[in-house]
Amino acid sequence: MAGQLNRRTAAFRLLRRRLMQAVPLILGVVIINFCLIQLAPGSFLELMTAENQVSDPETIARLRTTYGLDDPVWLQLVKYIWALARLDFGFSYRQNIPVIQAIWVHLPATLLLMLSSIVLALSVGVAAGVVASVKVRTAWDTMVSVAAMFFFAAPSFWLGIMLIVLFAVKLGWLPVGGMVTIGGASDSGGGGGVLDILHHLVLPTLALGLFYAATYTRVMRSSMLEVAQLDFVRTARAKGLSRNRVTVSHVLRNALLPVVTILGVQMGTVLAGSVVIESVFSWPGIGSLLFDSVSSRNYPVVLGIMVLGSLVVIAANIAVDLVYMWLDPRIEIR
Amino acid sequence: MTGKVSRRTFGAGVISIGIAGPALLGRAAVAQETPKRGGTLVATWGGGEPQACYVPAGGGSSPTFSSSKLLERLGNRLMDGRFVGELAEGWKPAADFKSYTVKLRRGVKFHDGKDMTVDDVIYSIDEIWKKYAAASAMTDYAGVTAPDAETVVVAFSKPVPEFFFASLLCGPVNYIVPKHVYAGSDPVTNPANNAPIGTGPWKFKEWVRGSHFEYVRNDAYWRKDQPYMDRLIIRYVRDPAGRAAAMEAGDIHLGVFNPVAPPDIKRLTATGKFVATNKGYEEAVWSTTLECNVRNPIFAKKEVRQAMFFAVDRNLIAKTVYYGYARPGTGPIYSPNVEFFSKDTFSTAFDPKKAAALLDAAGYPKKADGKRFTVNLLSAGWFTENGKVGAIVKQGLEDIGVGVNLTVPDRPTSIKRIYTDYDFDLAISNQANPSEPVPTTTQYFTSDGIKKGVPFRNANGFHTDAVDALVEQIKVETDPAKRKALVATFQKAISVEAPLLPLLELESITVASNKVRNHSNDPNYLAASWYDIWLAS
Repeated sequence: MAGQLNRRTAAFRLLRRRLMQAVPLILGVVIINFCLIQLAPGSFLELMTAENQVSDPETIARLRTTYGLDDPVWLQLVKYIWALARLDFGFSYRQNIPVIQAIWVHLPATLLLMLSSIVLALSVGVAAGVVASVKVRTAWDTMVSVAAMFFFAAPSFWLGIMLIVLFAVKLGWLPVGGMVTIGGASDSGGGGGVLDILHHLVLPTLALGLFYAATYTRVMRSSMLEVAQLDFVRTARAKGLSRNRVTVSHVLRNALLPVVTILGVQMGTVLAGSVVIESVFSWPGIGSLLFDSVSSRNYPVVLGIMVLGSLVVIAANIAVDLVYMWLDPRIEIR
Repeated sequence: MTGKVSRRTFGAGVISIGIAGPALLGRAAVAQETPKRGGTLVATWGGGEPQACYVPAGGGSSPTFSSSKLLERLGNRLMDGRFVGELAEGWKPAADFKSYTVKLRRGVKFHDGKDMTVDDVIYSIDEIWKKYAAASAMTDYAGVTAPDAETVVVAFSKPVPEFFFASLLCGPVNYIVPKHVYAGSDPVTNPANNAPIGTGPWKFKEWVRGSHFEYVRNDAYWRKDQPYMDRLIIRYVRDPAGRAAAMEAGDIHLGVFNPVAPPDIKRLTATGKFVATNKGYEEAVWSTTLECNVRNPIFAKKEVRQAMFFAVDRNLIAKTVYYGYARPGTGPIYSPNVEFFSKDTFSTAFDPKKAAALLDAAGYPKKADGKRFTVNLLSAGWFTENGKVGAIVKQGLEDIGVGVNLTVPDRPTSIKRIYTDYDFDLAISNQANPSEPVPTTTQYFTSDGIKKGVPFRNANGFHTDAVDALVEQIKVETDPAKRKALVATFQKAISVEAPLLPLLELESITVASNKVRNHSNDPNYLAASWYDIWLAS
């Protein structure tokens, strides 16, 4: 009981510490991205006036004032950080809506794709890694290793296109792209039900998740083989526990630690990878919004996505730390 | 390429690629078909999602595509070249051509049920056209009045040719917008731009950002019993390979403005399920151009500018970069323009020896290092092909001893460097020109086209009093034959001066399922309302 209480206190302490560390981290993300954006040639005002055929110097000066672009860069940064502290992400003048609204309509799709890909990667990767280690140096092991090597080496955009050609165009089993059925043969309106979304989610999830599944497979296999050699496993076997019990309760739990570590590190790359996959599958996530925003120098949206992206990665890493503590009771993260 | 013909046959029949015969036979059969009612058409285009569904200043092809199904213009040009009324029943000039009387169509309602009135037309011309959509074309505009509830009179300070006025009424984004929605607001930021209320055959239903627009049938449309279909969906698929796959899987019926890569056009049409046509772009002919910045003393010499053009193998570019969907341009007016195109221009066929001789004569012989001089060549990165064109141009210029620093910046940087900073010696860019040359075409060569920071104007800095005066004459000449002769003179003069070479006239392609009827039947099909489109069973 006292042990449980101590662990809970330690978890809260960890959570508090991580949240406090997140503040300077996000501040750093904002400052670095703000400065990088300032260095890029062209501005959203130039593009906007160009698209609207505005050449009158007075109008351009008025717009500069309206958008706060006549302030010194450092003051623009301070104003942005101050607004951010009040959860004001700014306004997307290009789309004529608040930044948070622009991001909010795209974020759930990206989070769904990330989540499904991670679930797929973890379940397939862990299972395949366990099979390969249990059946080490057999045909099973070879098969799993070759498959892992293939998916690790295949670029996800290429894999995505191949999946579309096979499963959508040739076999017609799954949709080519999008998140819901649009139009469709029946004229009853678009889709959008849970099953419809899941149907559309299969191919992008495979394209994004299989790379990470391959990574976890390789890590899991070597970790399982390593843990299986340790003394406490030999002791468990000596005590007469069944092979399955030893594998699941003792080896697997301890072998998961490196996978969980990698998962935390890779959250950022999963987010970045989803940007590419969203383009291939016309998935309406923040990838397309980010691409359009960079192309149009829509800096408020770019910064907003960076800040929210860093929040997602930080949150995921905190979750990983907590899982780490749960998996190995001996660990108290300082 | 079997069945491919020149776009010079403006208004000719369907030009199918790869399956011309069956397509033409199919067209004859289609003419006998009774339109099928109901159903949903899913369409896409070869670009991205718009910044807003409607942008008063135009904002590029994407918002034009999305808004043109909802908002309508006073007139439209047909495939046979005739101008006809849409929201206007017709128009006629005054004897001095300084004003035009426009008779409005009766019984037209906006999607919110309110009648379209002269107030809407006056508001649109004064506040939208004059300030945003057609500002550069309305420099001589003097005002609009309404003598009665069904008529407006548009006045100008100078005589205005009939073709010019008709082109103004039919301008792609010269829409009639509802005054009761826009008055008292900034039209650029009005929320209605993301859910427009117009008079068009389709009513806005929803915009799922990052995915699609959904429009539904306007039951109160002024063309009785049209549109035929219940729903129209415009899908945005960023990747051309993704568009090809979606079309092949039957998810998308119609793709306009080069929806798929050239090899996929042949593959899709070979299945017999699709037709491809270059019809429907006669009023928006795209080109790839090579622009000389005459602010650089080297390019201030006409002979040097001409030499640049003799050095480039444009047939090679057409074949390798555009897979044959392009042809060398001959002057500032492009060949599909039956109204004004003239073959009598200065020829700049590929001739490296002539190019070298011109540079020698201009005082730029090869130096000891084999170079005459070095230039900065900017390929505007808004089309991926431009970078490849830049590589071939660089190769051609280096062959005659001109050093080339090639850069391919992205769209915002290209716009800034070409049109704001004039930071280039040579620029590979693109333009889309309608049949009326004033001002869209002429402003690339006149002093009033030099507007710092405004794209797709005169960035090369070239202007002469003679050309300025010629364009002024073209603007006010009301006799069609005399005007045509003046435009021919303009073409000859500009091709000799060579500040901007029309490297290639591009062929835009539409790919459609063979179930789609009445497509590509407008000379600017991307900007057409698609009121008559339908899907066969």
